[in-house]
Amino acid sequence: MIGQIANRLLLSIPVLFGVLLLGFMLLQLVPGDPAVVLAGPAAPPEVLDAIRKDMGLDQPVLVQFWHYLSRVAGGDMGRSLISNKTVLSELGGAIVPTVELMVGCLFWSIPLGIGMGTLAAVKRGSIIDRLVMALSVGGVSLPIFFICLLAIQFFGVYWPIFPFIGRGGPFWTYDGFMHLVLPAVSLGLIFIGPVARMTRSSVLEVLKLDHVRTARAKGLSERSVILRHGLRNALIPVVTLVGLQAGYLLGGAIVTETIFSWPGIGRLAVGAILSSDFPVAQGTILVLALSFIVINLIVDVLYALLDPRVQG
Amino acid sequence: MSFSPIRLGFAAALALGAPAIAAAQSSVTIVREVDSNNYDPQKSTARAASEVLFMMGDTLVGLDPDMKTVVPMLAESWDMSDDGLTYTFHLKDGVSFCDGKKMTAEDVVYTFDRWLDPATKSPVAWRAGEVESVTAPDPLTVVYQLKAPHSELLYQLTQSFATIIDKANVEALGPDFGVTGFNGTGPFCWKEWTPRNTMTLTKHEGYTWGPPIYDTPDAQVDEITWQIVPEENTRTVAVLTGQSEITQYVPYIAMSQLRAAPNVNVEQSDAAFWTYFIGFKVDKPTVADPVVREAINLAVNQAAIAEDLYFGEVQPAYSYVSEGALDWNHAIDDELPKYDPEKAIAILEADGWKLNSDGVREKDGVTLQPLAYVFAGSTWSKLAEAVQADLLKVGIDMQIQSFDATIAWGKLATQEFDMFGMSFPYVSSGDALNLYFRSTNIPSPNRMNWNDSETDTLLRAGLTATDDADRAEAYGEVLKKVHEAYVWLPLYHEPMTIASSTKLKPVVPHNLYGCGLYKGIGIAYAD
Repeated sequence: MIGQIANRLLLSIPVLFGVLLLGFMLLQLVPGDPAVVLAGPAAPPEVLDAIRKDMGLDQPVLVQFWHYLSRVAGGDMGRSLISNKTVLSELGGAIVPTVELMVGCLFWSIPLGIGMGTLAAVKRGSIIDRLVMALSVGGVSLPIFFICLLAIQFFGVYWPIFPFIGRGGPFWTYDGFMHLVLPAVSLGLIFIGPVARMTRSSVLEVLKLDHVRTARAKGLSERSVILRHGLRNALIPVVTLVGLQAGYLLGGAIVTETIFSWPGIGRLAVGAILSSDFPVAQGTILVLALSFIVINLIVDVLYALLDPRVQG
Repeated sequence: MSFSPIRLGFAAALALGAPAIAAAQSSVTIVREVDSNNYDPQKSTARAASEVLFMMGDTLVGLDPDMKTVVPMLAESWDMSDDGLTYTFHLKDGVSFCDGKKMTAEDVVYTFDRWLDPATKSPVAWRAGEVESVTAPDPLTVVYQLKAPHSELLYQLTQSFATIIDKANVEALGPDFGVTGFNGTGPFCWKEWTPRNTMTLTKHEGYTWGPPIYDTPDAQVDEITWQIVPEENTRTVAVLTGQSEITQYVPYIAMSQLRAAPNVNVEQSDAAFWTYFIGFKVDKPTVADPVVREAINLAVNQAAIAEDLYFGEVQPAYSYVSEGALDWNHAIDDELPKYDPEKAIAILEADGWKLNSDGVREKDGVTLQPLAYVFAGSTWSKLAEAVQADLLKVGIDMQIQSFDATIAWGKLATQEFDMFGMSFPYVSSGDALNLYFRSTNIPSPNRMNWNDSETDTLLRAGLTATDDADRAEAYGEVLKKVHEAYVWLPLYHEPMTIASSTKLKPVVPHNLYGCGLYKGIGIAYAD
């Protein structure tokens, strides 16, 4: 188990290197010059040259990349060109709300999705099954911004129960919790669909298997057959799916954060890219990539817990 | 998206008593679309910076909402010498900064020195005029000595760029000045800024030197939060549901609905002096021809744009500055080009611009496909497309390239384009003309490359006039000149509209630099 995790961590080093390279290169390609952003549009050419020299922009690209790598390795991500705050402090301020949103979204949507999928599999062909599948297809097909706007329309305006602007504080405070509800629910809605569908098909597969028949033959109750022998095995592909979907979720979080003015990484990334704030943009890309790696690591660990064969 | 359920929702909310989300009675949330890159008054030209700086700091003199009357603020009185070269400001006694330090004439001198210092690289230093020196003979007197008269000086000193700052604070914070803190003398004080998210201000206790344009000399709420909400629908419903008490950033599409809402007041001012236009580079092959520029002015239907894109909430513009602005030349009111596509086609034909097989006009091997640079975003994309469609009807194929605001300013300082889209705030005709038509301001903000010695002479005459009539005459001449040359295509004048909760007293919209709430002193809960 430990060996496996170490192995995965080693494997993520080239991935990270690739991300750093990609983030660096992408920002080399976008129009706009960091020196101009820093100096303002009215700056004379000699001031721009001085700033370029200062930032090392006059060096060859590879040299710049090497400097960038060594700075990042030393934990220095630079400073925002726009607000002059260190990138680390900007990222630090944005990570907490994003993690809060992610957890707030997964916390209710995964159990619900698994529950709905299992129910649909057990009641196969019934009206409940049809309903769950219809909801899933709807959840997968509706664009996230539309779900967000509907959520605002109904639970913010029509019945003004929840606030929908910004973050009210940590989620354990009343204000913070109320602010978290709508974004977390909207983001979770796109997640339920795929989880429920995958669970359903996976449970159906497992219920046909020999060991389930054996369990039934032993006279176990239907409930325990489904939950202990069926679901545990059926969850393996679901866990994979959740890991893969997490990336999609990060993308959805960018939209959700924008609509709800949620001060997270997604919104920071969009804002930084739009305002040519290169250091912050690189930082957010790095954080998004890191979270992907971490999520996948968690998936692997869960895999091992669920499937004894993997633990070998 | 249908908005009809909103009103029903309102009825329901009112029936249930107050909405679930009620703010404490002394704090106010203002929603807005964009944030500033910093809050250093001398380094940022963004409206997003000015609107907060007006609240956090003070200027020597203030401006009445009528946009004409200069009122006392940090200075209780001022006199000007007969030659217009020396202004003496007499400061109020007992003014202090947010940190409790007493403000003296020395701070004023430091502020102007820093503003004018080339090392500061202030993009707005020209607004201060040609300054000989600013001195403080005693703690309550400031002498502002000019090399040449500057008739706009008092108006320019009301702008947020002339906000009085604290030397100790500037030096202590260094590059973080206006980023991690700001020590001003305004009715509110800096509490915390999280870029692109919120800016929180708290009431400045002991503030008694507000301008006489408000009912009270000090702030009436304890805390103001400027909250960034990029999504315009969200901003609208935020005001409707009381999550934001007041804002000037609601989309035109929602105006009628806000006016109909029982819990929202909408206040409007037409003297907003914020104008949208498209300018021409007058030395580019396509639009160098005055006939082409005239045809473009005739081909675009400003009234239809105002009606269709802005729901009739804006005023179609035919003049380069609002006709209500100080020194507007009423003599040319009847000469301004109005929508007349037939005439546009006729003058293009007569001038030798013939349609080619693609339906685009050509002359001497030049195809009439001017390239326009505009800002990315919903406003300019819709506007540029509407202009493009109108021009295509007369055989002009305008090409649009849009850039995000952060890149656009740099791009607009180049010579790559033929036309450019821009909008700007101003206090008077002279303010606008001096900014855009001086030859020394080429390539930016004089992006038209308008290089005309007579214009320069007249502008200088207007700027240095010590007599109102002389100034009006000089500026009137320039207005006539540039309108006759069709240097711009004016599009519309934006009014100032403020939507606020009925829990607040109605505010009088201010128009200085497009900052509707000005000092924020008018924001008060109704008793």
